[in-house]
Amino acid sequence: MKTPFSLSQYPRRAGQSLSSPPPGYFDRLPAQVMARVAPPARPAPLAWLLRAPAALRTGLASTLLLGTFAASLWLGGGPATSFPTTATSLDQVPQAQLIDYLTSGETHVDMLDLSELPAPRAGAASPYLHASASELNEALDGQPTPDDPGAL
Amino acid sequence: MEDHEILSKFQQPASRNLAFNQLVRKYQQKVYWHVRKMVIDHDDADDLTQDVFVKVFQHLENFRQDAQLFTWIYRIATNECLSFLKSKRRKFFLPLNDVGAELLAKVEADPAVAGDAIELKLQRAMLRLPDKQRLVFNLRYYDEMPYEQMAEVTGTSVGALKASYHHAARKIEEYITNADDPALSSDESA
Repeated sequence: MKTPFSLSQYPRRAGQSLSSPPPGYFDRLPAQVMARVAPPARPAPLAWLLRAPAALRTGLASTLLLGTFAASLWLGGGPATSFPTTATSLDQVPQAQLIDYLTSGETHVDMLDLSELPAPRAGAASPYLHASASELNEALDGQPTPDDPGAL
Repeated sequence: MEDHEILSKFQQPASRNLAFNQLVRKYQQKVYWHVRKMVIDHDDADDLTQDVFVKVFQHLENFRQDAQLFTWIYRIATNECLSFLKSKRRKFFLPLNDVGAELLAKVEADPAVAGDAIELKLQRAMLRLPDKQRLVFNLRYYDEMPYEQMAEVTGTSVGALKASYHHAARKIEEYITNADDPALSSDESA
């Protein structure tokens, strides 16, 4: 006759009944779990471009270049047409260079011309103005001045 | 670190990872062995243990502290195990006994069991049980978990768990008692 087996009489294994996991398993497991729950790294914004075929990348680069050129033309409204005025240009030339230029080479201006220009030459108007100095002064005195009440 | 401290730190983004790392370190062995006893194979147990902790991480924020953290984690692990075994049968269209035979082959190849005749018989007998009954037996017999905690883990009443455990124990005892029966041996080899 067989002896009935009873779990209560069977000494329960102190540890686990199956073989242990590989050595160091429980040291590595937390890191493995943490790696799985870590948020995924965000892909670089243009990572897809690096993975694209070379032909597509070349096409995109050409399109981008043409687009940039067209946009710059459209926004710029054509080539710039403003030039500096003569007075502005002359202002930028040092006075010493201007004097050197005028007094040398083929220009017929001498230092005397430059020094006498502000003062009118005496008798310069006599060939075409047939009036004496006293007559001229009298005519000028007869001209209305801004202070006269009926001048304007 | 106490459970309430882990939960408190987990709620703060700055200490979330640290808290979860502590949680894994605290419960990894219990979870691993709970899973391992159900799926037998170490690689399967490794995958499932990691899956369990990933799910714990994803849902820990919504964990209501009316249950113990430990039993909540066990419940997730239990569901993962049962789903794994169910999907294994469904995937390969295997009947109950064939999955049992696959697990039995792994048990018999395990050097920790192979050298112990009674333990081997016990494992063979357990693998003949339905998954849920084997789960109840593992929790009660190996982990010595109180029925109240088992009820939280399995979502089953204490009375039903007691009945299930005693039924499982009786079947195992009968199997081991008759294990030397030639008829039983031929049944196993078939």
